[in-house]
Amino acid sequence: MLGVMDFRIEQWRAWAPGLESKDDWRTWCEAPVRVADGQQQPDVSFLPAMQRRRLSRLARMLFQVAWPLAEAYPALPLIFASRHGETPRTLAILNDLARDEPLSPTQFSLSVHNAIIGQWSILRGDTSEMTAVAAAGDGLEHAMLEASMLLGEGAPAVLLVIAEEAPPAVYAPYVDDVPFPYAVALLLTPGDDWHLQLGSGAGQTAAWPHPLNLLRALCCGQPTLVHHWNNRQWIWSHNKA
Amino acid sequence: MSDLQLEIKHLIIEALGLEDMVAADIGADLPLFGEGLGLDSVDALELGLAIQKRFGIKIDAEAKDTRQHFANVASLTAFVAARQTA
Repeated sequence: MLGVMDFRIEQWRAWAPGLESKDDWRTWCEAPVRVADGQQQPDVSFLPAMQRRRLSRLARMLFQVAWPLAEAYPALPLIFASRHGETPRTLAILNDLARDEPLSPTQFSLSVHNAIIGQWSILRGDTSEMTAVAAAGDGLEHAMLEASMLLGEGAPAVLLVIAEEAPPAVYAPYVDDVPFPYAVALLLTPGDDWHLQLGSGAGQTAAWPHPLNLLRALCCGQPTLVHHWNNRQWIWSHNKA
Repeated sequence: MSDLQLEIKHLIIEALGLEDMVAADIGADLPLFGEGLGLDSVDALELGLAIQKRFGIKIDAEAKDTRQHFANVASLTAFVAARQTA
């Protein structure tokens, strides 16, 4: 039945400015605050310089959180979810257009929503199925739906990454769902540790972007998590405490 | 090394985001594409654009000799110098 998913979260990793290690995240999860963005770049020094030069910060965030989780899997399907994607690149292109200047081929080719998973596929040499999703407040759950279908089809593991870059200053007044840039990666395998169910009903929307609420549940061993968005009610429950 | 050569090396590093690289790493005769520096087709377009913007010259992507002009820093410098005085 659509709307009921069972899976296991084998491993997770996350990145935000100043929050890199599991301990950093445990501290944040106990007392969540809006962290300052000092334009720190996620460390992707495991990639040769020629390979990482075209990666935006958003792409670096994905590589930083996802790469170690993929080590054991030469072929690993990937679901990438982001509501805003490579907005800074699109804005740079729009600025060039407004000034009547020629467009940067690099910015243009990497501004599309699936550019990052394309770069991931090339740099890992992995041609597994990869999907880029753009969804609003429950993008995590829609990405989970995609991942569950792949697991249902027999994939031994699926990598899910959800990430948002800080909006460029001109867009900031219109974007209220990115308190700071963040990326969360989940390595999902078949199992019934976690149960995610879709129902309907309105309720209070979450204080933090939902991937960060999930991290808090993972860090604190919280057994259930209810998330409302657009009259959809998602209930996450952890079966094994 | 001429000033123009150095300027073009810096332009390559800056326009193509060659992290960790300095002008001295790019020899004037080092092939830019394929073997050598290892640039690809997107770099060719980006570099062509950067050269056009910086030096205000037109580059015909279809012209047969464009490929030779972009072979290395020495040939690119000669090309830019010739166009600037033309």
